[in-house]
Amino acid sequence: MALKYVGVFVIFQLLALNVVSQISAFPTPTATTDDKTVYNRQLTEERPLQEQIAEADSVKAAVQSAESRRPTASKDTESEQERDDLTVLKTLASGQKSKETAEAPVRKQDQYVPDESDSTKSRRLAEDYDSTKNGMDDGKYQDDPESFRQVDGTPLTAEDIVQKIANKIYEEDDRGVFDRIVSKLLKLGLITESQADTLEYQVAEALQDLITKNARNNEIEDMESNDQETRGEQDDQGSDANTDTWEPPRRRYDDEDEEVDDDETEDEVDRDAEEDGGDAADNTWDKDTEEGNEVSPEDGLQDLQYFPNFYRLLRSLNSDQDTQERETLITIMKTLIDFVKMMVKYGTITPEEGVSYLENLDAMIAMQTKNKLGKSLGPPDFTGPNGKNLDEDDNTKAEAAKMQKEYENLKDSTKEEQPSTETNQPGKSETYLEAIRKNIEWLKKHNKEEGKDDYDLSKLKDFMDQQVDSYIEKGIIAKDEGDTIKRIYSSL
Amino acid sequence: MKQFLSVVLFGAAAVALVSAAGTDGEISFEYHRYEEMRKALVSVWLQCPTITRIYTIGESFEGRELLVLEMSDNPGTHEPGEPEFKYIANMHGNEAVGRELLIYLAQYLCNQYQQGNETIIDLIHNTRIHLMPSMNPDGFEKAASQPGEIKDWFVGRSNAQGVDLNRNFPDLDRIIYINEREGGANNHLLQNMKKAVDENTKLAPETKAVIHWIMDIPFVLSANLHGGDVVANYPYDETRTDDVMFKSLARAYSMYNPVMSDPHRPPCRKNDDDSSFKDGITNGGAWYSVPGGMQDFNYLSSNCFEITLELSCDKFPNEDTLKTYWEQNRNSLVSYIEQVHRGVKGFVRDLQGNAISNATISVEGIDHDITTAKDGDYWRLLAPGNYKVAASAPGYLTVIKKVAVPYSPATRVDFELESLMERKEEEREELMDWWKMMSETLNF
Repeated sequence: MALKYVGVFVIFQLLALNVVSQISAFPTPTATTDDKTVYNRQLTEERPLQEQIAEADSVKAAVQSAESRRPTASKDTESEQERDDLTVLKTLASGQKSKETAEAPVRKQDQYVPDESDSTKSRRLAEDYDSTKNGMDDGKYQDDPESFRQVDGTPLTAEDIVQKIANKIYEEDDRGVFDRIVSKLLKLGLITESQADTLEYQVAEALQDLITKNARNNEIEDMESNDQETRGEQDDQGSDANTDTWEPPRRRYDDEDEEVDDDETEDEVDRDAEEDGGDAADNTWDKDTEEGNEVSPEDGLQDLQYFPNFYRLLRSLNSDQDTQERETLITIMKTLIDFVKMMVKYGTITPEEGVSYLENLDAMIAMQTKNKLGKSLGPPDFTGPNGKNLDEDDNTKAEAAKMQKEYENLKDSTKEEQPSTETNQPGKSETYLEAIRKNIEWLKKHNKEEGKDDYDLSKLKDFMDQQVDSYIEKGIIAKDEGDTIKRIYSSL
Repeated sequence: MKQFLSVVLFGAAAVALVSAAGTDGEISFEYHRYEEMRKALVSVWLQCPTITRIYTIGESFEGRELLVLEMSDNPGTHEPGEPEFKYIANMHGNEAVGRELLIYLAQYLCNQYQQGNETIIDLIHNTRIHLMPSMNPDGFEKAASQPGEIKDWFVGRSNAQGVDLNRNFPDLDRIIYINEREGGANNHLLQNMKKAVDENTKLAPETKAVIHWIMDIPFVLSANLHGGDVVANYPYDETRTDDVMFKSLARAYSMYNPVMSDPHRPPCRKNDDDSSFKDGITNGGAWYSVPGGMQDFNYLSSNCFEITLELSCDKFPNEDTLKTYWEQNRNSLVSYIEQVHRGVKGFVRDLQGNAISNATISVEGIDHDITTAKDGDYWRLLAPGNYKVAASAPGYLTVIKKVAVPYSPATRVDFELESLMERKEEEREELMDWWKMMSETLNF
């Protein structure tokens, strides 16, 4: 008797523990990242609207994926045989995915959020398997280019895949198709990044062929598709904002439509490489430049050729002793272009403004080159923000930083035209840099006037470090801002 | 050669980007949300770290820091004899102009200081200026988040708990009226203030933070920035008290503001009664009563004289009007800070030179005493005239001095107080001497 009660009691305890542990360890889809997010929320600036939407979307999607079926959802693509493999790969990839979700907020439409809690839930609903019920979606499912099998069940070859993707992009006038597919493949670990690059080139080529083929068939259609692509791209600002910046200059600098298509595609390829690479964007640039130097200088400067004056300037530096300088200038220019793209991507400026800025820039380069070369120059008055003699590396940094600051000015002036009280400020380090620069300038001038020796930079640096730490502690500055400030001071 | 080409590129980039629409020197006239405000203050600090310091007096209900930017030649320390001044704005979250003006003021003072403006340099060297752009950041966010250009008259006014902060301070007016009738203290009415404040559950966190702030720092002069009308409002109407000085203070603000001081300015709203507005100033009691207001609390619980500035008919006007508001108020804002250097000031010490803190400074004919701070220093704002100023402290003999006070600057009057013990000692010694002399003479 007693034993029976003990047994019941033990079982009850176990149940209770189970329940309690479940309650205390309340599972959420993004449990680990939530803590960080909340913490960061206190101290970082109001996150941009898109990011918040992206986060909300990803959480919503995680919930919805278990219950509903998305028409072009990638989980539709899983075939029976591959599902086991894919489940394993999915769990592997999901670890990466949650990180990627945080890192790529702008690509909110492209996020694929599998529900990991129950692999059976990733199956589509019963009616989906019954193709007779899907009157409307038949065509899509049957010949979904995102599936890995042909209609008749034979596995697809690489060429087929490329062709399918190109077709889909052409039909839908949506470059985002490619991004979606490739990102899925990458996440699932089915292809490597370099394979993704190769795929990109191939798709681009296939698309190119498609376009030229259709162009020959009907010239009017060609014009329309051109416009559609333009519009399609402009509509697709979320993930392809930076392509828009290139539209007008391309139109202006190139006469023939076909060349425009060529350049569009090539530039798309370039930028896709950047986008997919993410942090590897710089590597892509460097890779291009390096390859360019070895193979042909023109390849690495594809973006830059739209700045004819800058290009002329570079060409004038073809002698050997100027190569390093050439590199510096190219780096500066590319950095600048990247900034413009970033600004546009994050919606800080509109694409038109980015374009007009870059066009102005090129015009100014022409003017300045003429002016400067017209006069005989002694050593320039220009010094970096700290007034010391900079070696070349610091020069580049300083100028890039100055450009960022100037960019901040441009951004502010556009803000005045369209007053918005809620803006992301990627240029906040530039505002701080500007403030610090003013302080240093004043200190130098002040000490000169008073006849004192040069101010003690290291003492000032220590003092500022100390103050920054105490401000971080009190919640007056965020940690990353504090680091930025310390970094600026240590670079003086 | 390499630098030259870099110069070309940089020059091109710079020139291409310059567009200086709507900036006064280096100030950019726009609304600042909380993060932007924080960053703006940090930028001022980074630009002028030797004369500024940012600190926080606490958190709002929703956890935003109540930020203060302090400006002085020795930020972070009270220099004995240096008067403390404060501006507080945006205690009603939807009254947004004051908040912005204080941010611009911070930037302006820093810029002017570095550009060698003598007036500003003197002011910063001789005053400790505290600027709190927003006492109610939560309310501001609510007000600013409204869609569209026109902001509601009420949304965002109170704090996140729905408390009107300008009705939330302990109401000491009641007590003073009683004391006036029946006799009693005329200053520092909140006894055991710390305890009373901490135990008071009705106080919003913002109110509490400000009260602690007032208790910690011996503020001399202050102004409270609001919106919804255009006038400088000062406390009380009793002629026995500091009415004259308050009128002078309020005028010192309004006269530099062309809109405020315009006698023919039409009222903000058609049916407003501006009959009590003269020279852009008005007496609080005469206008409308504000029980639990911060202005009166300052005067009745501490040494600080505070007036209320209403700066705009529209509580949350369009962003493109901010530059105009700045231009209308800039000179007033600076002039009002300068008012802290008026009246009499000095130190109260004992005969050994030690500071006597919490000594009382009373002025004959004015029924409001002030007290000395920790270093024995005091600042008594007075309008021009002849006064008898008395310094007293428990255990010490009162000393009275006659002073002729000009408009400005403040007249230095120090007091050395003899303690009662010392006087007794003196008298005893005198007695002993006399006794000794007597006994020697009379031989006993």
